[in-house]
Amino acid sequence: MHRRGVGLAAFDRQEQSKRSFAVLSAQLSQAQVDQLHAQLNQFRTALAHFATTHRDSIRRDPAFRHAFQQMCSSIGVDPLAGPRKGGWWAEMLGLGDWQYELGVQIVDVCVSTRERNGGLIEMEELLRLVTKLRGISGGQITEDDIARSIKTLQPLGVGYQVVILADGRRMVRSVVKELDEDQAVVLAIAQLQGGRIVEDMLISGKGWTQGRAKAALENMLLRDGLCWLDEQDEEYGKAYWVTSAMKWDM
Amino acid sequence: MSFSPLATPTGFLLPSVHSAPPFFTQQPHPGTNATVQDHWITLILGYARHRKLFVLRVEDAEATDSEWLEVFRNERINRKLLPSYLFSILATMVSKNVAIYEPPGQTRSVLLYWRLPEEWAEVLHQWAISTGQLNTILTFYEITDPPIPSPLSNIPVTLLRKAIAILAKTGRSQLITIADGEGVRLFQGTGK
Repeated sequence: MHRRGVGLAAFDRQEQSKRSFAVLSAQLSQAQVDQLHAQLNQFRTALAHFATTHRDSIRRDPAFRHAFQQMCSSIGVDPLAGPRKGGWWAEMLGLGDWQYELGVQIVDVCVSTRERNGGLIEMEELLRLVTKLRGISGGQITEDDIARSIKTLQPLGVGYQVVILADGRRMVRSVVKELDEDQAVVLAIAQLQGGRIVEDMLISGKGWTQGRAKAALENMLLRDGLCWLDEQDEEYGKAYWVTSAMKWDM
Repeated sequence: MSFSPLATPTGFLLPSVHSAPPFFTQQPHPGTNATVQDHWITLILGYARHRKLFVLRVEDAEATDSEWLEVFRNERINRKLLPSYLFSILATMVSKNVAIYEPPGQTRSVLLYWRLPEEWAEVLHQWAISTGQLNTILTFYEITDPPIPSPLSNIPVTLLRKAIAILAKTGRSQLITIADGEGVRLFQGTGK
């Protein structure tokens, strides 16, 4: 059995060892903190080095940028996060500004095409228009960059969102509106038809009842303003045109 | 399939929206309707300016000899603007002050303002200066049907009157009654 001291002397001894342990532990944590600081400094230097050597590649080359973003997410670092405006990652790489600039261009395209497409634009089309807006000097961008930029727009609460259709096609929604499942189906079909859709395509193609097909189309037309009505359709007399699926040469 | 602009035989460039089939149907959704009507209004005013057309009637949507045929019909997609839709577009144009009902008191025919009366006033004043006709009495006929075609050739008298009235406010015109009708004298004016 462990011997425990008795009496006042033992009490003192215990107090004293407690104090020594405290000192020792303080020393240890200090050493750890110092070491961490040293490591952080090293990391910062390495990052600064990385930034100066690769900044241009990151901004110019989509493949490199993608690899960099993946590296960041695999080690659990968000290149845009940080206490300051863009975080010091972003500041060093200039990636924050680049990303926000792209965000502004996305908003520009979405807003200026909204009256045509009801606030729903195909990813490909958005990419094409943003690329056009940036000109040749802007460097190449990818759908991935756009999706990422849209994520940075989220705190603005304006409802920018990437919607994935049943056939895997991606669309960007710039109005606060929920797309229900039926509408997603309608969109996918309209995409294949250059925008035109009639009830019959949903009834014979998807096995919907007439009521369901009519409700889905009328909702898109009357409630959401996502369609234009055509009352002179040669085949059915009445057709719906999903504006976001219509292709325009400007 | 994609929609593209197209040049007409008279050299007018139809916008790509003109090749979209639903463009020719009045839209039930208020927001969509406003958007599509704006496209129509831009198209109508642009075409009117191109052809120097001043009058638009609901009947122009139906008449096969109408000067508006290539705008109100698209044979390639077999669509046409219906009179009921044109009627509604005319009402919107009047409410936006880019047209007035002419004659007043009916709603099936309008005078188009592809230039506002204020702009016509300046055109008239400039024309008088450049042709050296300040301070002389001009009949309306001499303005609307000059020997050398001018920007004011064929301008409807209603519009001419409005332009003259606007110039009168800045002391640049004076309406005069002459033997066989009315005339106007234009002045250099002070301020401008």
